[in-house]
Amino acid sequence: MGLIKETLALMRKDLLLEWRGKYALSGILLYVFSTVFIIYTSFEEVEPKAWNTLFWVVLLFASISAIVKSFVQENSPRQLYYYSLTNPIAVILSKTLYNIGLLMVVSLLTWGCFALMAGNAVKDNSQFFLALFLGSVGLSITFTFVAAIAGKADHSATLQAIMSFPLVLPILLTLIRLSANALRLEQDSSISDDIAILAGIDLLSLGMALLLFPFLWRE
Amino acid sequence: MKNHWWKALGVIILLYTFTAGMLLPLKPGIVAVNPSAVRTGDTVTLSVQGYNSFYTQSKTPVRAWLKLDEQRALAAKDIKILSDNALRVSFDIPAHLPVSRRVQDFTLLLDNDVDGASVLPSALLVTQDSIQPDRGEALWVNSPITDLHEKSGITFPFRNILAETIRNTYFHVALWFAMLFLFIGGVSSSVRYLAKNDLDADYRAQAQTTVGLIFGLLGLITGIIWARNTWGAGYKFWNLREVDVKQAMTMVALFVYLAYFVLRMAFEDAERKARLSAVYNIFAFVALIPLIYVVPRLTDSLHPGSGGNPALGGEDLDNTMRMIFYPAIIGWTLLGFWMAQLYYRLIKAQMHLEERVGG
Repeated sequence: MGLIKETLALMRKDLLLEWRGKYALSGILLYVFSTVFIIYTSFEEVEPKAWNTLFWVVLLFASISAIVKSFVQENSPRQLYYYSLTNPIAVILSKTLYNIGLLMVVSLLTWGCFALMAGNAVKDNSQFFLALFLGSVGLSITFTFVAAIAGKADHSATLQAIMSFPLVLPILLTLIRLSANALRLEQDSSISDDIAILAGIDLLSLGMALLLFPFLWRE
Repeated sequence: MKNHWWKALGVIILLYTFTAGMLLPLKPGIVAVNPSAVRTGDTVTLSVQGYNSFYTQSKTPVRAWLKLDEQRALAAKDIKILSDNALRVSFDIPAHLPVSRRVQDFTLLLDNDVDGASVLPSALLVTQDSIQPDRGEALWVNSPITDLHEKSGITFPFRNILAETIRNTYFHVALWFAMLFLFIGGVSSSVRYLAKNDLDADYRAQAQTTVGLIFGLLGLITGIIWARNTWGAGYKFWNLREVDVKQAMTMVALFVYLAYFVLRMAFEDAERKARLSAVYNIFAFVALIPLIYVVPRLTDSLHPGSGGNPALGGEDLDNTMRMIFYPAIIGWTLLGFWMAQLYYRLIKAQMHLEERVGG
């Protein structure tokens, strides 16, 4: 029970920090908005295939910049304070859950921007939002864990990008396939396999993150 | 010598791999047939170009068939031997074929007592003027394929597109297997570091991963050369939709391990560097496993083992090749671990020197 309580308390703290600062979410919103604006002005008419690819690329970069600050926004004396106070599992769990929520907001905003400016190419809404959900979960687990490593270095943003891009490749390839199906770019009956693969990847990386994070925390 | 036997074993195995893999001849094969497409009702004379074959030395006459399926084949009307590597074979193609397709492909099969049987799949395309399977059945003179000879001596199989490049199996494929074992070794060293906090394990992980990376690059290069020779010059290895699981896995693994070395460069403190890179190494290795399931679903690839391409297994890797392929994997792996051990000692000596200079 203590674990859940700690996790919830830490999440509440992150949410409060975000609410007081507000710079992260507004910054990402601005990033997404300007990127989609550039896409719209250069393409004018975005074909579904390009829509699919661009959507996930924009979302990928938006989520990286949303998550990279997870472990660097608070100074190290305060980190030491948490270390003496809490269970490391609660720390990684709270950050991951918070980032899942953040990424879902970011992905819905990205989708909104695309729909507003480049048109809504989604044909099968439930499948697309399922892809968004599973994608947010998978990306935030991996990115949060890598942010915990990269946060220890001086140039954490560069390290974050080069370490996490190859790692999220399996998730991203499956997501693009899944959403290509939701956009009716291709018809595939074995879509449930893709969903199972995504869920499997999410669970696997969550398990690894929970297992390995205590070693990172011990500094 | 007691603790060094595996190094000697590795070297001996690799010497055996190189000698046997490079010197053993290929089985006789058929390189090309001209013409390769005809119409029904003709008598065709095919000029056949053989490879590694000895048509003039055969004691029994050379026999030839055009094979339609497992039961049905046409025997040659006349065979003229021009040289060891060239034949002229005549066939009477009936006016109608017993199939309901417009274009039917035939497999050419040659047999003599020196070379044994050799095959060229889809050697001849026959176009029917009109499709009448009933009359085709009536006209068909079946001559079953019997009493095929076996080539004596130790040889590698002849594969049409691969030909002599089949020997690359002992380098390209075996190097990638060795790379995988080295990466697994690196991950287990990382686990040992986290369990025991012993910096030696971290140096070992670094050394094994470095050698694994080198093997991966060598495997990639041999793969690119091989692909250019067999799939054509237009093949691009960086195009993920054209490549396949094995290529893509290796490319991504190389990215991951390059990131591993960048991560190591980012930290000065040895303990911190060791812990963070060990954690990343383990996480990355596990995170890449799902690629095995993900990439094959993207597209059909040219690579062996997908889309009907020949691969390891079945008739493609015959027993002679297995006798060299499996030892090659063991040999490269042993050599890799030896290299890793040498590099590990170098790292350790460097650290020791730094400590003494620094202290």
